[in-house]
Amino acid sequence: MTSNEISVGDALPTFSLALTSTMIVSGAVASRDFMPVHHDTSYAQAQGAPDMFMNILTTNGYIARFITDWAGPEAMVRRIAIRLGVPAVPGKTLRFNGQVTQTTDEGDERVIEVAVQAANDLGDHATGTVVVALPQ
Amino acid sequence: MPELENDPLRERLEAYVGKPLGSVSTAPDPVNVPMIRHWVAALDDQNPIYLDEAAASESRFGGIVAPPAMLQTWTMPTPKIEGIAERGGAPTEMTNDNVVTALDEAGYVGTLATNSELDFHRYLRPGDELESVTELETISQRKKTSLAEGYFVTWITTYKDGTGQVVGRQLFRIFKFDPATMGGA
Repeated sequence: MTSNEISVGDALPTFSLALTSTMIVSGAVASRDFMPVHHDTSYAQAQGAPDMFMNILTTNGYIARFITDWAGPEAMVRRIAIRLGVPAVPGKTLRFNGQVTQTTDEGDERVIEVAVQAANDLGDHATGTVVVALPQ
Repeated sequence: MPELENDPLRERLEAYVGKPLGSVSTAPDPVNVPMIRHWVAALDDQNPIYLDEAAASESRFGGIVAPPAMLQTWTMPTPKIEGIAERGGAPTEMTNDNVVTALDEAGYVGTLATNSELDFHRYLRPGDELESVTELETISQRKKTSLAEGYFVTWITTYKDGTGQVVGRQLFRIFKFDPATMGGA
């Protein structure tokens, strides 16, 4: 992907993640987050959650991956701003969608704003904006 | 969402605004490839700039960089695993007088994370030594949402490298609510 191939209105390829307990636990441990709600189903349920659920660091990590899988290795993510909704739980596929909402030329970079949404069949897990810069 | 008047807690809560939450958090290890490898495997992120030295050298980054969303992981306190459930998931004992314990004591024991805003000023490289400071930015007026009555609490964490340069920031907002008021909207 080069920056001049990107236009406002472009949709990013949907990324569907068939979420498992292992993915949730792996992400939590890789981010050094040992809160029991991210690995212990009965603890999470005692807190009112339907199951163990993904931690926010992992959500941000998957959003960054979703963006750079599309924009390529020259992309630099500058900002990930999300509003958090329903939990991402095992057995419920998390679908990431995005659309380019703005592009701005800044010196030798093109700065691209993408509206992102990660949702499962409970509703929106995370919605927000990612800003990513590509060389031009 | 309506603001609720006559809040006896307000004065106590205001005292925390602008104050750091705990002390400076120094990363126990510099940014390093083993932790990057663990993260990349966990999220199956194939971006070559994180582990492929040759590809990373040819990219505009000029070498291996850490996945940006790992920013928070570097300065996370090393947890004491025993007793973590009893501490409500807190990795270490929270000895400081802080807004969360003040709200817990007043009955606002429910916690719902609502917003995260990460800004990355530069990508981190192996060897970077980080520290972070978290400050309480704002506490909303007491509000009644569709969930319950409570307060929106917003912190800003600033991450600096070994030279004191700011490398990133995070805004984090939670809703601390009183479970006894749930479903009353």
